[in-house]
Amino acid sequence: MGGAASQLPKEMVSEYQELTFLTKQEILLAHKRFSELQDRDSLSSRVPMEKILTMPELKSNPFRRRICHVFSTSEPNDGSLTFEDFLDLLSAFSDSATLEIKSHYAFRIFDFDDDGTLDAGDLEKLVNCLTGDTDETRLNPEEMRQLIKNILEESDIDKDGTVNLSEFQHVISRSPDFVSSFKIVL
Amino acid sequence: MMMMELRETCSDGPDRGYHGYQQSLRSRRGPSRMSRDGPPHLDLASSEDEDPPSRTPQKLAMPMGIKKAVRQLQHMQVPVSSKRTRHSRALKHFYAEAKETLAILIPWRKAIHKIGGHFGGGVQSYFVFLRFLVVLNFLSFLLIAGFVLIPSVVLSSPNNTPSIPNGTNITGKELCMKYDHSPEVLPVFYTFFLDLLSGTGFMEYTYLFYGYYSNTVAESKGVSYNVPLAYLLTASFYFLFCLVCIILRMGNVVRVLVTTGSGGERGYSARVFTDWDYGLQGDRATGLKQNTIRYRLQVDLEEDRIRLRAASLSPGQTVGLYALRALLNLVVIALIIAAFFGIAEATSFSQREAVKWTGVVGLLLEFLPSIVITASNFVVPFLCDQIARLEKLSPSTTVIVALLRAVFLRLVSLGVLLFTLWSQITCSGKADDTDCKICRYNSAQYQCWESRVGQEMYKLTLFDFLTTMVLLVLVEFPRRLLVDHCSCKLTRWVGRQEFLVPPNVLALVYGQTVVWTGALFCPLLPLINTIKFFIIFHCKKATLFQNCRPAIKSFRSTSSNFFFCLVLLFGWILSTVVLIYSMAEIHPSFGCGPFRFSPTMWSVIQASIDNLTKTTQDFFNIIGSLAFCVPLFLLSCVVLSYVAALASVYGKSVAILREQIKQDGRDKQFLVKQIKDLTRILGVPKHEEDQYDPGASWGDHHASASPPQYLPNVHSFPSASHY
Repeated sequence: MGGAASQLPKEMVSEYQELTFLTKQEILLAHKRFSELQDRDSLSSRVPMEKILTMPELKSNPFRRRICHVFSTSEPNDGSLTFEDFLDLLSAFSDSATLEIKSHYAFRIFDFDDDGTLDAGDLEKLVNCLTGDTDETRLNPEEMRQLIKNILEESDIDKDGTVNLSEFQHVISRSPDFVSSFKIVL
Repeated sequence: MMMMELRETCSDGPDRGYHGYQQSLRSRRGPSRMSRDGPPHLDLASSEDEDPPSRTPQKLAMPMGIKKAVRQLQHMQVPVSSKRTRHSRALKHFYAEAKETLAILIPWRKAIHKIGGHFGGGVQSYFVFLRFLVVLNFLSFLLIAGFVLIPSVVLSSPNNTPSIPNGTNITGKELCMKYDHSPEVLPVFYTFFLDLLSGTGFMEYTYLFYGYYSNTVAESKGVSYNVPLAYLLTASFYFLFCLVCIILRMGNVVRVLVTTGSGGERGYSARVFTDWDYGLQGDRATGLKQNTIRYRLQVDLEEDRIRLRAASLSPGQTVGLYALRALLNLVVIALIIAAFFGIAEATSFSQREAVKWTGVVGLLLEFLPSIVITASNFVVPFLCDQIARLEKLSPSTTVIVALLRAVFLRLVSLGVLLFTLWSQITCSGKADDTDCKICRYNSAQYQCWESRVGQEMYKLTLFDFLTTMVLLVLVEFPRRLLVDHCSCKLTRWVGRQEFLVPPNVLALVYGQTVVWTGALFCPLLPLINTIKFFIIFHCKKATLFQNCRPAIKSFRSTSSNFFFCLVLLFGWILSTVVLIYSMAEIHPSFGCGPFRFSPTMWSVIQASIDNLTKTTQDFFNIIGSLAFCVPLFLLSCVVLSYVAALASVYGKSVAILREQIKQDGRDKQFLVKQIKDLTRILGVPKHEEDQYDPGASWGDHHASASPPQYLPNVHSFPSASHY
């Protein structure tokens, strides 16, 4: 229920064009969608995470909460996004973002405990997100253990029991279709 | 992070030296040191190999506020989105849109996607294969209709008296020309259904069967159309068209197999990190994707477990296992040979006795070969499945072995049927047998043998369809009703049906092979098959969703797609052999069909070539002669060996590159170990060692402390830059 949707000033649009991978149309569309989620129309106001998660593009994504947490710049880190955070999100998930940006943010999204590495707990939560986090859809503990062991065997190069950013990026760099699947378009 | 830095440095080349190493090392610190509550970290870092001042703030993995600050520090002259990037983006967008619109033309796309989500890739590949066959049959029907059926209908002469071409000697062959096809004078009321089911009676002398087509060169309004020639050439082109379609499809499947490295090369970590599609919207699509990912993971984990178990057997146990497998294979072969004898007996019995009986008994006798074939196709694979359980192979190997065994059974049983027919029609090839002496085929029993063969194939197709429908209605639906409403121990043990893909695929391949074999003798069979497969698609889809439970164990679909095409190719080869033999060796019937009075079907082509101009005749003669064929053969041998050499070179490079990737991994591990040892030996203070420690957390490191301290240590890594 926003008020009259005010236009973004032109200089701001071109500034955002330089700072993100989005085109002008994408930025204007993002502004329109973001104002629909807002109560007041001010660029520095934050939209709480629950409202962000009502967007159809994010509503069923199993990683939606992590995505909001990663891109949020709020002090208590409650997942609320400003418009600029929102643009950062769309930029990382856009068509033209580079592999480095995408793999960097993918790593942070998968790092459920925010400690800078993917350990066995993070990997287990990641696999549960991929298969569905209900009792019928989870892998059984035996399979989960085998899977995590295989993952660490393949990607943990320095054998410290966790996957760090460069090991993660090494795995990603050998998958050519990552860039096309790590995409959210409004 | 360290490894990234070292790799980038090493790829910089030896001339960057110490300073370059220092500078690029300092510039690599950014992304993993992003502090959330500390002062903004202004290192313009990424793993790209560029000098820091020209990094665009776009490519920083940081919040917008920091990017704005960075931008203010830079003097940016470069335009952000140049014309070329805009063009390439527009082009990419256009291609995506075009692909989307073209994909709408493919039938049943949504249904197959839904099936794949609920039941996995294996079941989905069955329906994809079925869709391919429906389209193939429909296109074949259009081909046949356009070149044979419609010209025959349009240009048919009112009187169907056969025109005897000049120069053929038919003295003494009046007996052979007798063809009595008119229905009985007083048909009983149920004769209609009997005739409909077995293709006899009123159905025999129609466009459905070979016997109806005239052998004239139909002329109408100045357009002359050589019906026999068209018939023959259409049949040949139909087979070539099917072969091309199968090979194209196999090529697609093989390409997918090779690029994905047959599935096994793409490790678990790559799949877990990259498999999710973030563009999926809606709970349904997400649920489908999650199901697919879960199935694939479970299948692969199970295969790994089996492989580990097999590898851990002792030599004695392995020998025992192989001996057991050899014995079981012998049992399977014995079963199959027994089935073949049964089919041969049933066919010859049916051919001899069916004409003597009428009514329902006659119908049963007519269908006896079909019944025996179908019965053996149920019993023998069932026994083979039980035997396969004792063999303890991995799931995908079990599937492939079962498929090959069942294929062998089905196709060769069809071959036995055809062989029995042949031996009856041509008196087992003995030209001077009493029955076959005059007309060179058994004209007493077979006044129009092509139509009879066509009828056999028609009966097989029909019976196969009826069996499928009857099973669906009388077995699968009641089974589900029983399991759902009656909770006694038996039903709980039996459980709901599981949709087994290999038997269903074999049924499709068998049906298609029958159609190919019979297409020469029953031109409308592809149309009947299109309708049959269309109905089967919808019925199988209905039974899948209503009666079946999702498979607990599924199998890999990429390699099974390849095997489906391969067995289809086997069927094609069998029917081609039949086609070529019928065209070239057996004398066509005198009483019916477009090839009467020709010694073989193929001679029509020779006769029409003789009617062409002298130069064309010389051209064909030269092509057919040895002087042309032998050099052509030699040339194709040369080309083949070149292509084979090329393929082996590519295969070797792929293997070398794979080895190189593995070697890189080992090198990295070695280097990391080296660094850890050296830092320990050189006694670097603990908080510096944290810089190399991959486990450092995001927020507890300040930018200012890092660069100068470790420079002296860097100096003592002489070997690092040489890698």
